[in-house]
Amino acid sequence: MARRAEPPDGGWGWMVVLSAFFQSALVFGVLRSFGVFFVELVAAFQEQAARVSWIASIGIAVQQFGSPVGSTLSTKYGPRPVVMAGGVLAASGMLLASFATSLTHLYLSIGLLSGSGWALTFTPTLACLSRYFSRRRSLATGLALTGVGLSSFAFAPLFQWLVSRYAWRGGLLLVSALSLHLVACGALLRPLSLTEDPAVGGPGAQLTSLLRHGPFLRYTLALTLINTGYFIPYVHLMAHLQDLDWEPLSAAFLLSVVAISDLVGRVASGWLGDTVPGPVARLLMLWTTLTGVSLALFPVARTPTALMVLAVAYGFTSGALTPVAFSVLPELVGTGRIYCGLGMVQMVESIGGLLGAPLSGYLRDRTGDYTASFVVAGAFLLVGSGILLTLPHVFCFSASASKPQDSGTEAVHTKVSLTRKGLQED
Amino acid sequence: MRALPCLLGPRGPLPLALLCLLVAARGSLADGQPSASPFTSLPTHGEMMTKYSNLSLETPDISLTEHSRVPVEKNITLERPSNIQLTCQFTTHKDVNSVNVTWKKGDELLQNYLLNATGNILYAQYMFTIINSEQMGSYSCLFGEEKEQRGTFHFKVPEIHGKNKPLVTYVRDTTVLICKCQHCSPLNWTWYSSNGSIQVPIDVQMSDKYVIDGTSATETRLKITQLSEGDQGSYWCRAALRLGEREERVELVVLSYLVPLKPFLGIVAEVVILVAIILFYETYTQKKKKHIDDGKEFEQVEQLKSDDSNGVENNAPRHRKNESVSQ
Repeated sequence: MARRAEPPDGGWGWMVVLSAFFQSALVFGVLRSFGVFFVELVAAFQEQAARVSWIASIGIAVQQFGSPVGSTLSTKYGPRPVVMAGGVLAASGMLLASFATSLTHLYLSIGLLSGSGWALTFTPTLACLSRYFSRRRSLATGLALTGVGLSSFAFAPLFQWLVSRYAWRGGLLLVSALSLHLVACGALLRPLSLTEDPAVGGPGAQLTSLLRHGPFLRYTLALTLINTGYFIPYVHLMAHLQDLDWEPLSAAFLLSVVAISDLVGRVASGWLGDTVPGPVARLLMLWTTLTGVSLALFPVARTPTALMVLAVAYGFTSGALTPVAFSVLPELVGTGRIYCGLGMVQMVESIGGLLGAPLSGYLRDRTGDYTASFVVAGAFLLVGSGILLTLPHVFCFSASASKPQDSGTEAVHTKVSLTRKGLQED
Repeated sequence: MRALPCLLGPRGPLPLALLCLLVAARGSLADGQPSASPFTSLPTHGEMMTKYSNLSLETPDISLTEHSRVPVEKNITLERPSNIQLTCQFTTHKDVNSVNVTWKKGDELLQNYLLNATGNILYAQYMFTIINSEQMGSYSCLFGEEKEQRGTFHFKVPEIHGKNKPLVTYVRDTTVLICKCQHCSPLNWTWYSSNGSIQVPIDVQMSDKYVIDGTSATETRLKITQLSEGDQGSYWCRAALRLGEREERVELVVLSYLVPLKPFLGIVAEVVILVAIILFYETYTQKKKKHIDDGKEFEQVEQLKSDDSNGVENNAPRHRKNESVSQ
């Protein structure tokens, strides 16, 4: 297959966006709407809520920690076979879960099996997307990630209907069939060969080169800190509102408002990320700072209007930072190393995600309300955005009027010319 | 409303003292105790109150006017025996002393009630004790004769709750049917399954299939193992409370695995077709591209060939031309 010098920025790339859209829906939408099954499983197995919620936690943990595996395999074999295999795994996990007779059975089938299936799908797809786009990368990523928000809206009532009609066993069986569409999404990921691919070498070589890459390490650290604060409102906003004596219905309405502004934020930020000149890291800094500020202001707001405004602000800014966060990576490490890079970032930042919610809960137990939790969450985001300042090109306002070329390509060009020289000498 | 002394009786043809005597006699007859003196209406009731002084006191009240269109009703949920003090207040422009007041339980006339008048408002009070289900029911206060105004107190036992939606389960599965009462602790719970329209009590001793869990007083759980399609239908849980009985229905649906399997296989087939379409489309476009590329190559080869031949042809005439020119 002919090697391309530049990502196509369109054409088949839009089919990859479609595929990524459905994949984020089928992976994260299912995870987010799992609450419907959670209620049924608590009743069916007569277990405590904490033990049943481990199912989803194991699934998320396996998905995030398994990301490097997905990326390594994609580097070697291309994203298509990996994602299709992941789809089969995820669907089989759900299928086996529908026959579960105990909670352990569910931990293994949904948590482990489906989780590893999800690990093999999401990261390779996003990385593949980054390879297909250069100028419109942020917009493509933003559009693809709207799948998460939209699917949460659609899947929650759908799962509720499935459970009322077929009970949780039948419901899981049909969710398994739904997850099988990941295989179809994987089929859409046509392999793309870029010029820098042979130069960056195999997965092992890529990993070692990444671990020595200063900006990459700083970026990973920043994202980990951001992740720690990012998920806290998702987990604790409802409880915080109940502490303020909000009605459950109005609280749920507020959460829907957050979800909608999150969606709008993703697309808007994606578009903005491509049109605004200069490195995308600056936009990431902007959005993370604003998210941190809005989070820290949450405890101060007491009136419904103030909380509503903050909710919209938080939703918009937190949604806005997601596509940009993914777009920064190719600019840092190059599209050749994107699979490995993304996998590593996902794995490390998941530590932040796992620690964030329990930390917030612990602070709440110690101080009595969520003030400390939100302020600390905001602080994490602000520190993270501060670390982003140390990334290259963030402060160069004079030089680049256009986007900096993927820095990987510079390194690659020198390598390629060297190898050519070497061949000539031979 | 605080307790009012019995000073006024219903004005009628009978003199006041005789009426009080009648009331007292009636009251003591109901108690089954010999009456100590003619005017013992209050003390008799007072004795009742001391006997049941450890019970709680409920004091519901209703307000009526002579212009009320519809009868006023009030529901009172009662779980344990209590002392009751019912109060009806009636506002009228007419002379309060001329209003005819009656208390009824269902259709039965009650005695032993108290009256007081303040300005335009007439207060009627009836005190009694609810000990068992016999005293439960509807108590009404009625004012006036031609245009009768009625206020009714309905005494009910607390409700029990099952599940509103049918419970969906599968064959060979295990399920638990739950009935619970939020604000009461029934003395006894029993379960019934329905055979057609008859309620059949569930025998727990017969087999392992049915297990009733009675650890919690406020709820009951019926566990059914090894479900089969014959177990489908309505189940009833009955709570025996101190002041009555309550019944609730739970619907059980048992499905076989084939029910969700059909849509599952349908969706799997759809995914396989999708994947096939995508891959075939890709190989098709690749073949086409290769065809075009081959075509381009072919054209390029043709181009080169024609260039060569053109060069040869051109050389010859030029050569000849030169020769002709030079000569």
